[in-house]
Parts: sequence; structure tokens; C-alpha cells
Amino acid sequence: MSAVTSVLPYGVAAWLFGIGLYGIATSRNFIHLVGCLGVCQSATYVLLLGLGYRWGSIAPIFYDHPPGTPAVDPVMQALVLTDIVVGATLTALLLVLTIQAYKRGGSLDPEKLRPMRAGGKSGRDAGSGRVRDA
Amino acid sequence: MTAFPAALLPLPVAVPLVVCAAMLATAHVLPGRLPDILATLAALTVAVLCGVIATHAADGPLVYWFGGWEPRDGVHLGIGFSVDEASGWVAAFIGLLYALTFVFAWGFFDRTHGHFHILMLLFLAAMVGFCFTRDMFNLFVWFEVMSVAAFALTAYHLAESSLAGAINFTVVNSLAGFLMLGGIGLIYAQTGTLDFEGIAAAVARGGRDPVVAGAFCLVAAALMIKGAIVPFQFWLADAHAVAPSPVSVIFSGSMVSLGLFGLAKVSAVAFGGSDQVQHALPGLLIGLGSFTALLGGWMALLQRHLKRLLAFSTISHAGIMLTGLGALSVDGTGGMLVYVVGHGLVKGALFMIAGILLATQASIDEIALRGLGRGIWPAGIAMALAGLLLCGLPLGVLDQGTRLVQGALWQQGYGVALAAGAIGAALTGAAVLRAAGRIFLGLGSDPGDEAGAPSADEREKANRPLWLMLAPCCLLLALDIGLPAALIEHALPRAASAFMHRPTVHALAEGPGWLPWASVAAALAGAGFGLFRRHLPAFVVRPVSATQSAPTRVLEMLHSGLIGDYAAWLAVGVAAIAAVLAIA
Repeated sequence: MSAVTSVLPYGVAAWLFGIGLYGIATSRNFIHLVGCLGVCQSATYVLLLGLGYRWGSIAPIFYDHPPGTPAVDPVMQALVLTDIVVGATLTALLLVLTIQAYKRGGSLDPEKLRPMRAGGKSGRDAGSGRVRDA
Repeated sequence: MTAFPAALLPLPVAVPLVVCAAMLATAHVLPGRLPDILATLAALTVAVLCGVIATHAADGPLVYWFGGWEPRDGVHLGIGFSVDEASGWVAAFIGLLYALTFVFAWGFFDRTHGHFHILMLLFLAAMVGFCFTRDMFNLFVWFEVMSVAAFALTAYHLAESSLAGAINFTVVNSLAGFLMLGGIGLIYAQTGTLDFEGIAAAVARGGRDPVVAGAFCLVAAALMIKGAIVPFQFWLADAHAVAPSPVSVIFSGSMVSLGLFGLAKVSAVAFGGSDQVQHALPGLLIGLGSFTALLGGWMALLQRHLKRLLAFSTISHAGIMLTGLGALSVDGTGGMLVYVVGHGLVKGALFMIAGILLATQASIDEIALRGLGRGIWPAGIAMALAGLLLCGLPLGVLDQGTRLVQGALWQQGYGVALAAGAIGAALTGAAVLRAAGRIFLGLGSDPGDEAGAPSADEREKANRPLWLMLAPCCLLLALDIGLPAALIEHALPRAASAFMHRPTVHALAEGPGWLPWASVAAALAGAGFGLFRRHLPAFVVRPVSATQSAPTRVLEMLHSGLIGDYAAWLAVGVAAIAAVLAIA
């Protein structure tokens, strides 16, 4: 195992998280944004699997191996599995929210859909309208 | 005292989960008010059980290992619950807050087949599990369950602004979850265990280690995102302002402070042995906390949307809690734990008042509501009292927590943090009192600068009598004022020492007695200025307006509601925490 290959998974994880975050920061479409969030999450998969990996070991299933055979860390794999479940829940929830937002706002652009600024009506307009009414 | 059967420890988590599952299975046949009754009873049961557990934990933490996987030869493989007195009481408080919230929301969610109650009970179970666990990964799981329930509850109205708020909340808090999981992976790789005690032992053996510092950086950033600490605070105002009022009560009353509770536990127990982390913590927590207290208070003062105002006030108080944590002493952490309960009681009451205004007056805009609250004056009295308590009126649980936090900061000479906390509390108090004066007394005239703050039209169902909504609100305030101070004074030194795994101290220091009064005076002056600026001489008003308008515009611009900006700030915050840890 060379120094490059042992550092590689962490580099890949950092790169994935960074590029995903960049995607979220610049996204102009909610579906694209959900995809970018998935990229960020892939970073955690790579990181966890990289941390749990043992060179020259088998998967932690001892069905046809004698106990004591070196295996990769099963705890990390359990963490990744849980993470996948969490990720599926989040993606589903976010996509539902996106669909509902599209139904109501008619747009998938985060710029057009901001909390407290619904319908392009800024606080100042709403306020002056009310003052005039009174 | 007889020994408490440790096998019953998972019960407060199991009860809401079982009720929640039963309700989900029978939701379409449950008649009328049954979900309300069931949910209230379940929450009350949790509160009572946690209270019993807490009293039994006074002699020493109660430990339960799932499936009997106890640690053997120093190897921790199983997942455990470990409840000390402080965690038990915090969980009991959360149960009580939920019970009162269910009463407040009585019939609010008609014809939803109890889905609101199901999500809320899931939320409750997650919070209690979060308080009880002693396992890093289990902490993450409860963190995520809490988040998913919260995301769905935020979007409950399915209105345009609530969907946008929920999406921002979901994305930012999901990123928090990923950071936390990464941190947990790192600490596990380094120590070979996920158990708090196991990690603590391994970290203490290991000495200076960049992987441990990196792990702490990621976990702390995640918990600070939940705790809405600057620069991670953006999601909170969006989410709290648009969530249904009963949900906001829970968000502000317990979810945000639980993030900081988790941070307290992780930094005192799991990372307690790492010198590098402990060196970095005071500067980091006190710096960020002071800044958060001031920024949150300032933003609260600028709002005209009442729930958004309260949301920023929560940010400010989260900052004050963080400074208490930053003192790294039993006094500071003990004060913070009391503060969590006191703040939850008062802020819960305030969000209930906002809900009452939404239901009875069909508006949440401070300017539009001017003078409209006269018909429901009892709510006005409650709001004024809550506002005074919020800025530090020396009375009740919140004040006790404030004085303990101030005492810890005073003792260690963190004068700036002390001042920032007092000013932050004064600013949020001023904002609440100004709103109360305008809504319930019809004071003030031109909206002036506040008109720039965002607002939105909203309404909530007006199908409940006023007394039913006001009763839980008043009960929260009564609890804050009425809980005997001697009880807390007696139990807290022991509970806080056990919470931090430190030797027991005998008495906790308190801050200077004049400081809370100074906050109250400043809050009254601030509220008065907001309401009567028309009648004040120009030489008072002009300098204030001149210094106020430019930073105000910048602040409002920063809180853009754009998820992209929030993600960028998140990266900045994580980098800042990493830098502080690297220097230490």
C-alpha cells in the first residue's frame, strides 16, 4: 500500500463534499440542488468505507470462511447502510417538497421561491399597503 | 431510595413510538379528539417517567445496555443509554412542553387523521433518545429522526413560504447530518469505539491528534447548526417563522437548545480528555456565542413579523447558552442547563401567544396588528410578562440560569461575553415588549425602519376558545416563575457535576445582582424608543437612525432566504472552527 492510495479516499471524500457544496451554493434549480446534496452525501459514504477498509481482507461475512479471517470493519458498513437509509428519506422528502413548491410557485428556481417573500411581494410593499388601508 | 430497574430506561422513548405506531395504524378510524387525548397522555407519561428516572439518577447515572451487550474487558461493542440527573430532568421538561403543546394545539389539526400527532410523537421520542444516549452513532440516529420529523412538520401548511422555509431547513440540516456522520466515522476509526466513555478513555490516552480534532470539528459544527449559532443560524428564522405555531413552540423551546445540550455532552464527556479540543473550546464557544447573542438580538429588533422576531430572539438566547458552555466549568454548564429549561418555558409561551394572535386576529404582522389585541388583553399581560422574563427580570428559572451563566463568565473574567449576553437579552426583550405595546396597547405610529423587514400574510384556524390556548401558555410562565429556586440550587451542583463527569462541587457562583436589572432597564428603554420615537427630540433619534440603517440593510441582505448563500456561510463556519482547532 503506497502513501498515495491510503490518502486517496479522504481526498476523494473532501473533493466530493466540496464540489457538492459548490453545487448547492450556485444551483438555480431545486432538482439539481437535491442532486448536489446527494453528491455531498456520497462524500460520507466514501469517507466511511475508506476508514473501515483493511487491505487484503474479505467482506465481513464468514459463511464460507473460518472465523478469524481478516475482514473489513463491519461497524463502518453498518454506518454506511444507515446513512443510505437516511439519504433515501431525505431525498424523497426534499423531492416531495420541491413538487409541492413547484405546484404553488410555478418555479423551481430558489431565487424565485424565498420564505417570507412569497409571490414576489416584499415586506415593504405589504407594509405600505397596510398602512394605506388604515 | 430503592434501586430503579435500569431495564425501564428505554420506556420514555418506547412509549411515544408505540403510541405513534398504533395511531398510524388506526388513524382513519380514530374518532375526533382521540388523537389529541392520546398524544397528550403519551407526552405526560414521558414527562413523569423521565422525572422518576431523574430522581433515581441522583445517586449516580443509570445505565442500560440494549440486548445485554455490556462492555467486556474495556471493549464497548453494545449501544447504551446512560441517564444522569441533568439529562433526565431536561427530558422530563421536554415531555411536559410537548404535553402543553398538544393541549395548545387541541383540535387545531382537524381532519388530518392524527398525522400531526404522529410526527410530533416521533419528534418527542427522538428528543428523549438524544438526551439519554451514550453512543455517538445512536446520537446521530436520534439527530436524524429529530430532523426528519421537524422537516415534515415545518412544511405542514404546504403554503409557498412554508415550503421554501422547509427546503432551506432540510438542506442545511442534512448537511449538518453528513458532517456529523463524517466526524463520527473519524473518531471511530481513531478510537475503535462509539461509546462516549470508550471514546473518552481512548482520546485521553492518545494525546494531540489531528484526526480527533477533525472529528470534533465536524461533530461540533453539526450540533452548532442545530443550535443555530452564527454563521449557521440562517435556516432558523426561515423555518420557525413559517412552521405552524405549535411546532414553533417545540422548535424554539427544545430543539435548538438540544443541539447545544448535545454539544455540551460531547465536549465534556467524549472529547473531555483531548487537550487540543479543550484549549480551543473557550475561545471558540465564547466568541461565537457572544457574536450570536448580539446579532440575534439586533435582528429581532428589526422584525415586524412576530414569529420571525421570536425566531431571532431564540438565536440570541442560543448564543447566551453557548457562552455559558464556553466557560467550561460546572457553573457555566449547570447554568446553561437551567437556562435551557427556563428559556424553553418562556419562549414556548411566547410562540403560543403568536399562535393566539394568528388564530384570533388572523395576522402575525406587528404593524398590521397595532391596537388589535385590546380584545384579548389577558394574552397581552402574558406577553409583557414573558418579554420581561426574556430580558432578565430577576424572577424564576430563566433568571436563575442567567445568573449562573453570568457567574461563570464573571469568575473567569470573560467581560465581553458577559456584556454581549446582557445586551443580547435586552435587545430581544425590547423587541418583544415593543411588539406587545404596539399590539395590545396600540402604541407607536409610523412603522419607520421596521417596514423593511420581511413579512407575509398568514392565518391559522380560529376554532378554539381563547382560554384553551391561553391556559398552557400561562402554565408555562407559571412554571418558570413558580419553580422553587431552592430546589434547583440544591440539586444543580451535583447534577451538573455528574453531567460533566467532574468531581462534585458544592455551590455554584452567581453573577452580579445588578446585571439583570440593567438588561431590563435597557430593554424597556429600547422598547420605549421603538414606540415613541415620534415624540423624541431629533438629536436623540437622528444619530440612532443614522448608525442603524446601513448595517441593518446589510444584515437583511445576508438573511436572503437563498439556500445557496446559506451553504456558502456553512462552509465558512466549518473552516473557521477547523482553523481555531488547528491553532490550539
